[in-house]
Amino acid sequence: MGQIRKSTNNPYTKVCDHQSTIFLILMTLAVLGLAVVGLFSCSQSKEPSFLKIGLPEEPRSLNLWLGTDANSRNILSQIYQPLFRRHPETLEMIPWLAKEDPVFNEKEMSYTVTLREAKWSDGSDFTSEDVLFTRQLFSDFKIPRYYSHWRIIEKVEAVDVHTVVFYLKEPSAVFLPRVMTAPMVSKKEWEPVCKQALATEKPLRFLQDYQVENPLGTGPFMLHEYQKGAYIHMIKNPYFFGQGQAIGNLTLGPFVDHVLFNIYGTSDVAILALKKKDIDYYWWDIQPGYIKDLEKNSDIDLHYNKKSALYYLGFNLRKPPFNDKVLRQAVATVVDKAFILDRILQNHGNPMHSIVPAGNHFWHNPDVRKYGEGMDQKTRITTAWKMLADAGYSWETPPVASDGSLTKPSDIQMPSGEKMEKFVILTPPADYDPKRAFAGTMIQEWLRQLGMPAFARPMAFNSLLETVKAKHDFDAFVLGYGKLDLDPDYLSSFFSTKNDKPRDWNMSGYRNPEFDKLAATQKLTVDVEARRQMIFDMQAMLLEDVPYYPLYNPHIIEATVNKRFEGWVERVDGIGNIWSLCMVKPVD
Amino acid sequence: MAKPGYILLKLVEVGIIFFVILTALFFLFRLSPGDPISKMVDPMLTPEDMAHLIQQMGLDRPMWEQYLIYVKNFFTGSFGVSFHYGEPVATIIADKLKWTLLLFTTSTLLAAFAGVFLGKIAAWHKGSRLDNVMSISALVCYTLFIPWFALLLLWILGFKWGLFPLGGVLTPALWISNASVVARILDVLHHLMLPLLTLFIINLGSYLLLMRSSMLSVLREDYILTARAKGLSEKKIRNKHAARNAALPVITSVGLSLAFSINGGALTEQIFTWPGIGRELIFAVSNNDYPLAQACFLLIALVVLCANLIVDLLYAWLDPRITY
Repeated sequence: MGQIRKSTNNPYTKVCDHQSTIFLILMTLAVLGLAVVGLFSCSQSKEPSFLKIGLPEEPRSLNLWLGTDANSRNILSQIYQPLFRRHPETLEMIPWLAKEDPVFNEKEMSYTVTLREAKWSDGSDFTSEDVLFTRQLFSDFKIPRYYSHWRIIEKVEAVDVHTVVFYLKEPSAVFLPRVMTAPMVSKKEWEPVCKQALATEKPLRFLQDYQVENPLGTGPFMLHEYQKGAYIHMIKNPYFFGQGQAIGNLTLGPFVDHVLFNIYGTSDVAILALKKKDIDYYWWDIQPGYIKDLEKNSDIDLHYNKKSALYYLGFNLRKPPFNDKVLRQAVATVVDKAFILDRILQNHGNPMHSIVPAGNHFWHNPDVRKYGEGMDQKTRITTAWKMLADAGYSWETPPVASDGSLTKPSDIQMPSGEKMEKFVILTPPADYDPKRAFAGTMIQEWLRQLGMPAFARPMAFNSLLETVKAKHDFDAFVLGYGKLDLDPDYLSSFFSTKNDKPRDWNMSGYRNPEFDKLAATQKLTVDVEARRQMIFDMQAMLLEDVPYYPLYNPHIIEATVNKRFEGWVERVDGIGNIWSLCMVKPVD
Repeated sequence: MAKPGYILLKLVEVGIIFFVILTALFFLFRLSPGDPISKMVDPMLTPEDMAHLIQQMGLDRPMWEQYLIYVKNFFTGSFGVSFHYGEPVATIIADKLKWTLLLFTTSTLLAAFAGVFLGKIAAWHKGSRLDNVMSISALVCYTLFIPWFALLLLWILGFKWGLFPLGGVLTPALWISNASVVARILDVLHHLMLPLLTLFIINLGSYLLLMRSSMLSVLREDYILTARAKGLSEKKIRNKHAARNAALPVITSVGLSLAFSINGGALTEQIFTWPGIGRELIFAVSNNDYPLAQACFLLIALVVLCANLIVDLLYAWLDPRITY
């Protein structure tokens, strides 16, 4: 080894040192050179007329029939338009591609819809033929999400180029919110594709796999260029029917010529991009952890809006222990929603009391039964204990001592005298949704204070859905819907007896003939006020029977840079909507 | 040198292993919970819609039938169409692979060259301050947590100093403005720098340490002493006698790293929004996009098997004492 050390004095080692120095200098020069080039190109890229929007992921597809994910919808909703859409403030259905409210003929069970004189983005006319074609396409291909709603239509007739009559099989409360909100497609664009698709063994698959290069739409923007993995460039549609028009008391633009969608793989980087003003808006929910930092930045505006979302604790009503209504009510009583809101959501949300979110103000019933409201934890446990004791549950050592103080209870026994078996509360894993995972853990702790052998278990999301929705092999679960439709017809889907089958939406196995009757009737009730009352009754019934116990509704928090653009339109579910893109204008 | 008989035997072995992987992959995906539509939590989607989608994907057919179609597709060179993107899998992979190869192959090769070079010097200077500095730095690089380090570089070099972009592979405004080809190449290189630097620094540590330890053990060999006794120059002893032998384990490691580099790195790609195959693979698995996930894994398996074969044969060329 001595020889090796001696070699350090060898002249050659100096040559090596020189080589390594040269190597390092060359590497550093290369990096610095590119940094300078980058600075130059970055300075060129600050194009003021571009509205730059960050997306969290690449859109799945620009084919309308496949691109059903949020990112694809964000792009496609600027292109393909429905006949009616919701007003951003009132949430009422207003004419969009339609010119005015539909005329209902009760005798013929028909709606007459007059169309605007709109054009497709290639300059051709949007006519009643396109509406008829769209309906035929839904029917021929059984397009998921649309076909089931359009089935209520017996036939569609074109009276003239701009008048269409929809004949219904039966009265329908969801004609406007579900049928008329479907996107209209161009016959010219899709007819040849459909012909090819129908000649194949799997027509829907062919239609979905068709690569759409230049989608024809009637919306405010049209696709200009899509560089996969990099950006989507949209430009103003010169034929947009709403340009300069007052629709729903809003005079529409668009007031920007270009919209550029960039993709950011993580929220951390997207937030840095916002702060660096590389983007004007990040079309995704900002997590509470970033808020303090962003609030300090005067160039950034934060937008807090209610969500049409439902996060809840669900029970399996098909088997013990949760086939007992009193037990479910007792569980609901010990769940401290204020605690969940404070500690888990950091107060960026609201406690949820009904299945229909409070943000959906027209359909939300504020007067449902509220469990444990205003109670401290001791009162909650005492109340739940009394409810259970009255129903025949027993403990060797009850959770509440004779002097009213809380004690560590022994295992709870069922009214039949049998010991309550260990049960599991399934939650998504913390890396998928920390809020739901922690809520599950907290519920486990509260239930144990009542002597219940509760165990919260995080499970991979796919497995969780398979267990709960397909196999029905569970006790309880914490799940949620991040974006519920504003029409409350989903109550029927979630709780109707006919939907209590594998893979259907009645995951809890709730069976109530009275509820089923209301669910069926409301669907056929065209009188909005009468339907509203039914929806209110359904909500009250659900909070009495507690198949689901609503927990919380987080706010949607979004961030925009305020130096370049203004005029974002706030509504339930945030500022990411077509109204914003029609109203945003450069700051003077 | 390897004999033709040995090469043929090895090729048959690779073929059998590959077929086993091909079959295992098919059944692993089918046995995992859920299916391509089970993650669609959308109340607007009725069970009839779901059944219709499953039927259109061909997943309602018996398992053996699906397997035969899968094997037939593979041998006819078709990987099918991605359930998620609705595009041919081959197109998606070709699209993503170029970015992955650009980043991961470049970083592996650069780090390997620098690692061998610096490891050789560190070993030659064993015990000196230079060796200590290099070894400790290499250890630090080797143990860096990629997401933390990547975000740190992004924050300092991208956000604070504004030297590099915050991810992606190109500057949209530049490409939209029809910039020249040179400007576009420079733009891509500019975007490449931060992820490349991250991977280079992390890989450098492992190659440097590997080369250093291999070199140290070689320097203790009798033939090095013999070389000195023969009066050979230090340069010849170090580069021809020591370094060439010491580089054998590094070559194995580089070979495998290059093979695995087509796998990309989900974390690095995610943080730098690099549209490579690593992100896509994770995404395909979590969404049960069977055709895409299977094809990605098959590609990785094929490249790793080939790399192993090449490294085996390369050994015989590098070390004349090894014969097959």
